[in-house]
Amino acid sequence: MTKQEQVKAIFIEEAGEIIEKLDVDIVRFEENSNDFDLLNEIFRGVHTLKGNANAFGFIRLGEFVHHFEDVLDHYRSTKEEIEPYQLELFVDSVDIIKEVMTCELEALPNLPERYPECLGKIKHLIASKKNAPLSVVSERDSEPLFDLASEFGFSCCEQIDAGVANSIRSHQAMQEEGLNLFRIDMTLDDDCYKRGFDHLIFLKLLAEKAKAIESFFDMEEVEALDRFAGDENTIKRVIVIVLTEQTPDEVAENFEFLFDHEVATALIDPDRVPSVEEKLPVVAEKVMGKVPSDTVTASATVPKSTIRIDTFKLDELFDSVGELVIAQNFIAQNGKIRSIEDESISRAIETLSKITKRIQDRVMSLRMVAIRDTFDKMKRVVRDTSKKTGKELHLIVQGEETEIDKTMVDSLSDPLIHIIRNAIDHGLESDGTERLSVGKKVEGTITLRAFHKSGSIVISVSDDGRGINKEKVLKKAIERGVVSGDESLTDTQIFGLIMQPGFSTADTVSDLSGRGVGLDVVKTSIEKLRGKIEIDSKEGEGTTFSMVLPLTLAIIDGMLVQAAGEIYIIPTLSVVESFRPEKEIVHVLKGQGEFVSLRGQHIPVIRLSDVFDLSTERIEPWEGILVCVETDAGRIAIMVDELIGRQQVVIKTLGKSLSRLKEITGGAILGNGDIALILNVDELRPLIEVAHGGN
Amino acid sequence: MQFDGDVLTIGLDMSMEEIREFEQFVRPRLEYIEMIETEEGTVLRSSSLLSLLVSLKRSRPELKIPFLEQGVTASSVYGTLHWMCHD
Repeated sequence: MTKQEQVKAIFIEEAGEIIEKLDVDIVRFEENSNDFDLLNEIFRGVHTLKGNANAFGFIRLGEFVHHFEDVLDHYRSTKEEIEPYQLELFVDSVDIIKEVMTCELEALPNLPERYPECLGKIKHLIASKKNAPLSVVSERDSEPLFDLASEFGFSCCEQIDAGVANSIRSHQAMQEEGLNLFRIDMTLDDDCYKRGFDHLIFLKLLAEKAKAIESFFDMEEVEALDRFAGDENTIKRVIVIVLTEQTPDEVAENFEFLFDHEVATALIDPDRVPSVEEKLPVVAEKVMGKVPSDTVTASATVPKSTIRIDTFKLDELFDSVGELVIAQNFIAQNGKIRSIEDESISRAIETLSKITKRIQDRVMSLRMVAIRDTFDKMKRVVRDTSKKTGKELHLIVQGEETEIDKTMVDSLSDPLIHIIRNAIDHGLESDGTERLSVGKKVEGTITLRAFHKSGSIVISVSDDGRGINKEKVLKKAIERGVVSGDESLTDTQIFGLIMQPGFSTADTVSDLSGRGVGLDVVKTSIEKLRGKIEIDSKEGEGTTFSMVLPLTLAIIDGMLVQAAGEIYIIPTLSVVESFRPEKEIVHVLKGQGEFVSLRGQHIPVIRLSDVFDLSTERIEPWEGILVCVETDAGRIAIMVDELIGRQQVVIKTLGKSLSRLKEITGGAILGNGDIALILNVDELRPLIEVAHGGN
Repeated sequence: MQFDGDVLTIGLDMSMEEIREFEQFVRPRLEYIEMIETEEGTVLRSSSLLSLLVSLKRSRPELKIPFLEQGVTASSVYGTLHWMCHD
C-alpha cells in the first residue's frame, strides 16, 4: 500500500466510524430533540466529516455535508425547537451521507436518487431560517482536486538503491546450497554510540560467518561541523547484503540487543533477480521472512491481513505477559532448580527465557504506533487548507517516529486537524503582503512536533503568524458574557478563553474554521485523554498549541538507578550525562544545599533519599554517582548509588496513595518482577529547594 | 595521528575516545589543513569516524580526504563498505 493509499485508508476508516456514530446519534436525538449536547456532538462529527471529505477530494460528499452542517449549526446556536418533519429530514440526511460515501468510495458516477430532493430540502430549510435567498446558501467554493502523491512519496536515494540491487544480483550468482542471502536495514538511534553499539560491530559479527558481505552507508544526513555532534549517530541508514550459512534466527541473534525499530532483516529468495529501478525503502519494522528479492518492498505492498482488537483485551494480555515474565524469572533464578546439573534443563530454561523475552517485546509493541501516519494525514490537511485560504506556507514535521499509544492516536486526529486549520486560517497573516509589511517572509511556517518531555508526550502545532490578539479575545469574551471584564486575567487565562465552546474571534465563518467548534473539540478530546492544552503566543510572532498527554500505557526508555536500596527509573530523554564527581567540584552553599560545578555551571544535587524520606547511610556526592538531567527549571544532578542499566518499560499507573506523589509519574514491573518507580524529574527541583531551605 | 605541515595523517582504527580527541584537535584547525591521509594497513573501527570525515568534508569541501573520496573500502573484517554522501 502506498503512503497515499495508507492516508486515504485512515480517512475512510475514520469517516466510516463518524458515519456509524451519526447513524446512532441521530436516532437518539430524534427521541430527545432537546438534547443539545447530543446535537453538538452530531455537529462536530459532521464538521470533521466535511473537512476530511473535502481534503480527500470527495466533493459530492463535502457539498452535502456542508449544507447539513449549516442546518445543524443553526439549531445548536439558536436552540430553536425542531419540528418532527425536520427531524425526519435529519435522519434522511444521515442516510444520504452513508449512500454518498459509498458512491465516493466506489467512484460511482451517479448519486443516490434521493440526493437532489434531500439537498433541496436542506437548502430550503436553512434559507428559510436565515431568511435569505437560496443563492447565498448555494455559493460554494469549487475546489480543484490536487494530486498529493508526491507529498507522501519516499525520498529517493538512487545511488544506494542501484548499489543494493547490483549487490543482490552478484551475491545471488555466488549462492550455493546451504547459503542464505539477507538484506539487513540498520537504522540505529542517535544514541547508539552511547549505548555501546556501532554499525561496524554488527558488520564484524556478520562477516565472521559470511561468505560475502557488502554494506551501503547513507551519509546524507551527516551535518557540517557546526551542527555535528560527534557522540551522536547521524548515519540514518545502513543496508547490508550478506551471504551466509546462518539461519534467519542466527542472523537475528546478532541484533538481539537493538530495539526492534533499529533493524529490519529480510531473507532474499535466490530465484528472483532485482532490477536497478526498484526502490528499497527502509522498513520500519523487523521483518523476518522469506521474500522475493525483487520485491523486498513487497512487505509494504502486499495487502496485510489485520483484525481490530478491543484495547481492553490488549491490556489483559499486557498484564498476563507481565506475570509470565515474573514466573519465568522465578524459574530461572530459583536456587533449587539451578542446582540441578542437567544440561537439558539448563537449555530448556534458556529457551524459555528467550521466548518469554520475545513475547514480551512483541506484546509491548502491539499498542504502540509511530505518530507518522497521523502526521502524514495532517500534511494533506495543511496543503488543502493552504490552497483553500490561498496562503503560502511551509510545513515542518518533527518527531514522526515518536511512539504513542494507539488509543491516543485514534483520538488525536480531530484535535490536530482543528488546531492546524485554526493555525492557518486565523494564526497566519491574511496574505503575503501583510507578512511582508511586518518583516516576515511571504511564506508562513507551520511546525508540527511530537516529543517526549519529562514522562509526557507533547504534540505541538506552531505557527509564525500574528499571534493571539489578547484584547480581541477579551472583548469577545466580555460581549458573550464569558467574563465580566472586571477581573484581572493572566495571559494564560485569556488564551484559555478561546477554548470555550462556541467561542470564535473570526469575523467570518468559513468551512475551515471560525464557528468556534474546533478548539472546543480539541479541549474536550484532550481532556478525555487526561491531557491538557497549553497555549503560548506572542503577538506578532506566532502561537503554539501544545497537547500534553500522559504516558500511561506507553513504553518509555528509562535509565534504571539504585538509590537507598530502591530502584528508580529516570526517563532517558531527560538524561544529559552521568558521572562520579571529583570532591573539588562539589560545594555546599549555606541554606541552598549541595551543588556540583560542571563546565562552569552550578547544578543542584538532589538526593532521592531526601526526596522520598528514606533512611539510609548518608554518603558524600563524590562517593556516589550523579545523573545530570534536564528539567523544565534547568539542570539538576540526581545522586544515586548505582547505575543499573537502560531498559524499555511499560508505565503502570500507581494506586491512589502513591498517585499523589508528584515526583513519580508511574511505576514499572521489571523483568525480575521487581517494581521500580518512574521519576518525574520536573518535580524534583522544587522539593529539594524546600528541603534545602529548611536546612 | 601526525600533523606534518598541511597534511594530517590518521589511523583508521581509532577508538571512540580517539575519534573524539581527533575531532577536538581538528575543529579549530580545519582551515589550515589541506589534506587528511590515512595510515596504510589500518582498518576503520567505528562508523563514527566515517561520519566525522564526511562532516569535515561538508564543512570544507576543498579539504582532500582521499580515503573518503574513494567511496568504498574493503577488509576481511567487515567485507566491502560503500558510502554515499549525495553531495
